Amino acid sequence: MAQSTGSLVDQIAQLNAARTLVLGDAAFYPQIVNGVLPIIGARSRLELRRWGAEFLAETFSSPALAPAQKEQLAAIALQTLRETLELPEKDTVTLKHIVEAAASLYPLKCAGNQFKPAHWGIVGTDTLDNCSINHPEDSKVWENMTAIKDDILRRWDTSPFSVKVCCIKFVQRVVQVQTHGLTDPRVRTGKKEMPAVPKGKTVDDSQRPEQNETSLAIVPRNHSILSLPYLEAEASGLLDRLLSSIVPCPTNGPVIVSDPLLVNATLNSLAILIRTRQSIGNKIINAILSFVPARQARTPVTPAVRVGVKSMERTARALMINIMKRNPSHPLASKMQQHIERLMQSRIETVDDSSKKRGLPTEPTDGLDNSKRAKLDAESPPLIKVSPLPPGPVSYSQLYTLTEDAGLSSFDVKQLPVELLVKIVVPVLARVDQSALQQAVDGVRMRYQTLQKQQAAQPPPPATGEEEDDDYEPEYQPMDVPEQAAEQEDALSAEPADLQPDLVSLGPFVLPQPPPLSENEAAEIGRSAVGRVFDMLASSGVAPNTGKGKSQQHLGFSRLAGSTFDRDAWVTLLTRLATRAPAGLEVDHKKNDQDPSSKRPTISDSIRETLYRYILEDFRGRVNVGIMWLNEEWYNDRIQMKFTASQRGEEDEESSVPLHYDQWSLRLLDGFLPYLDSRDTKIFIRFLSEIPEVTIPITKRVASLAKDPERVNLCIQSLLYLIMFRPPAREMCLNAVEDVYQTYEESRPAAGKVLARWRPQSTAVQQAQPEQQSTLVNRTVESENNTPVANGA
Amino acid sequence: MAAPTETESSDGTAAAPTQEQQSDSYKLRFCTVCASNQNRSMEAHLRLSTAPSPFPVISFGTGSLVRLPGPSITQPNVYNFNTTSYSQMYEELYSKDERLYRNNGLLNMLERNRNLKWGPERFQDWVPGMPRVDHVAKGDKGALGTEGGVVDVIITCEERCWDAVVDDLMNKGSLLNRPVHVFNVDIKDNHEEALVGGKAILELANRLNEAAVQERKANNSEGWENGTGEARRSFDEKVPEILAAWQEKWPNLPALWTLAWL
Repeated sequence: MAQSTGSLVDQIAQLNAARTLVLGDAAFYPQIVNGVLPIIGARSRLELRRWGAEFLAETFSSPALAPAQKEQLAAIALQTLRETLELPEKDTVTLKHIVEAAASLYPLKCAGNQFKPAHWGIVGTDTLDNCSINHPEDSKVWENMTAIKDDILRRWDTSPFSVKVCCIKFVQRVVQVQTHGLTDPRVRTGKKEMPAVPKGKTVDDSQRPEQNETSLAIVPRNHSILSLPYLEAEASGLLDRLLSSIVPCPTNGPVIVSDPLLVNATLNSLAILIRTRQSIGNKIINAILSFVPARQARTPVTPAVRVGVKSMERTARALMINIMKRNPSHPLASKMQQHIERLMQSRIETVDDSSKKRGLPTEPTDGLDNSKRAKLDAESPPLIKVSPLPPGPVSYSQLYTLTEDAGLSSFDVKQLPVELLVKIVVPVLARVDQSALQQAVDGVRMRYQTLQKQQAAQPPPPATGEEEDDDYEPEYQPMDVPEQAAEQEDALSAEPADLQPDLVSLGPFVLPQPPPLSENEAAEIGRSAVGRVFDMLASSGVAPNTGKGKSQQHLGFSRLAGSTFDRDAWVTLLTRLATRAPAGLEVDHKKNDQDPSSKRPTISDSIRETLYRYILEDFRGRVNVGIMWLNEEWYNDRIQMKFTASQRGEEDEESSVPLHYDQWSLRLLDGFLPYLDSRDTKIFIRFLSEIPEVTIPITKRVASLAKDPERVNLCIQSLLYLIMFRPPAREMCLNAVEDVYQTYEESRPAAGKVLARWRPQSTAVQQAQPEQQSTLVNRTVESENNTPVANGA
Repeated sequence: MAAPTETESSDGTAAAPTQEQQSDSYKLRFCTVCASNQNRSMEAHLRLSTAPSPFPVISFGTGSLVRLPGPSITQPNVYNFNTTSYSQMYEELYSKDERLYRNNGLLNMLERNRNLKWGPERFQDWVPGMPRVDHVAKGDKGALGTEGGVVDVIITCEERCWDAVVDDLMNKGSLLNRPVHVFNVDIKDNHEEALVGGKAILELANRLNEAAVQERKANNSEGWENGTGEARRSFDEKVPEILAAWQEKWPNLPALWTLAWL
């Protein structure tokens, strides 16, 4: 031809210049596309056709060009593309680009004109004319599109691989368009107005508008030309064909080995179908689950086959991971996970000998594995701008508000229902960016610290004097408080001291002095505090340390009383509060106030009273509380006496110590004796054996039980126990038994036996029942009789 | 239908030398990717863009942030993608501790990088098909030919990056309907390995490009009729073999490949 080489080069250069122009400013596209189409048409030279096909593919997929404009240009471009295709085009490169362009145009045309019936009205920038399927021009456009589609589908199987790959993508687009997708009306109407992504602006995946979001959902059921069932059926058939590369059809005779190129092209195009087309998602995933690349390995296993199998396995894996990442609760997730592992295994077995040759590099390739990466404490560059707080007092909401958006910061979240908030917040928290969160927290912390410094810089309020109610504290220090207990107290007091700076770190702040309490008020408050502790004991909130005090047994002697914070610990606390806390005060009290009648009830007496009532409420269950309390009383009495004795000067003869044990042990005994019945033997014996001191009044009270014929045995057995196992109390108990024997007829049989055994010389027994002696003799140890020991601990 | 074809074939004979020239000058467009778009991807970027017959090339990182070694392993220097230039980083490290960063090669690396392009870019933020004309204007090396914002081949330097790239392309939804070969060439993240890896990547690029050029030649009206079976096989089809042959030569850089969509 006459066309010279030079002119071709010139033409290409001109075309490239035109392309540069539109790349620089998408507004020129209509002008340029219309201008170049005649040059690159079917009758042009190969170079021009190639250039043109690629240019059209680029144009109709460009994110810089708005869909509406693409649609306007589509009509004329489709004509050119069809003509070129039906040339018939043989050049692979040109074909490839034509199919690419068609894949971009198909959803565009379907969305733009064809899926709208005549009466549907205006959407976006389209005119009513344009919308009409009956419009001759428009039906021509659709005819071109369909012709191109049919041509591509025809070529699919026979084309060179490069074209085949693009056919796969085209078919994926057709399936996507002709399958029901999301029916959210906003998606459809919003689509037309969707602007092109502004240059340089980056769009997050989640925000990126899903282009080509055209689906059968927007075709009305009664569309005049487009038969919905037909389109659906076609899509379904095409999907099967698409998946055939990964699901070899068994009826096809010999197993067709899929080419990794086609398999990968298919797999990589499926993600969006699964994501946006629920109806076919599971079908596709099941196809992937049945696909085992290792089976595709041809023999002999050449390096190229190895590359192919590995690539298919990794691509399948990437696809499944992508699905699972999007939807971790996918019903098929566990199957996909299993399949991923199976694929890797089978690939290693079949083709991969690398595992035998060399181990995987254990060293992370960039020197930082993920776990280490997480630990890095390098400060990230700020993603969040933290503006400084305004001067003057600020509210908490100001302190925590990081956004500068006025609307956002004034929005009251409380307006939203809680369920909705939960739905929003939980997923947001799940994917919150760690470093952004860190920065936000640091930002607030910085503000907080700045505030703190500002406040600290202000002059502190005048310091107030020491608290004056110190005299309420007893000065008395018991001498043999175990050291550990003292340490414990130190530790306890040190703790709040450590906490204090943090608690008041906003600056020095001193509570105003409380109004001074009168003695009565103080006592009242003390009683109510004690009352609260008892309430707590009675409530189920504190774990009862049931049974035989297991933990105490474990801890043994080294335990600290009240360190376990269970019910026992509180009881310990109360008993000590009652017995020891006011120690020493009462002495002074008596000295100062000679008239006992005017003596006001002290806090410890009120605790004792409450303890007494507490135990009586359920003496069977709380006998151990009673024992513990009486032990404390007795111990405190001893300590007090010892202390007073050591303090007593020679001139001071009138020193006395108020003793509580005798008084309260009798009172307690009197309290529950009336309620004891014959079945309470064990509890009663335990009480008598564990209280620290058995006194004559106590044995008298016990003996009085024999008044009741029902409780004679209880009385005698309790006394017998004391006689046998509490030598210091033996004599007084024997006296009591003798007394009982003589006083109450009903007790004679039982008491007689005891006396015969323990006090054979007793005249009473000798007179009445000499014959009973022999029955108990063989159990005794002779010497025991002869060792009367002073009563006491 | 027959007429144009004939016209063309007569054309073809006349313009044969030109076409050959043009085919020779045909270049695949490349994209190199590593974690921080600093060392491995930039070394490869350099190699590809300054080869005797240079390739169009762009480069990215897949990490969440640009991480450079600091005074200790737990104190890296961290920067944002897309908004921090290599020059800024250079100045900052220079002022922080020139000796340290001179000795560990960071300053040299940044010096190299700032002569190649403005700053590190994040792969996940890339919008394929978005024109990159301004990069040409800025004089980025390898920018010529990438104005359209598309590439034919992506080469990552670490499996994690390959996974991230393939995953991200699926997320992007393949809006361009354009195939792209995604390779991984596993390179350890140090200067020495990056040099070796860059060389290997250039060789892979040359082999791939050769096949692509062959395809364009073979598919000329003449070539299509006359080419042998091998010559008629398309570029895409040959990729696994090319990679396998390349891998034989570079056994210490384990490679991976797939065909994905932009």
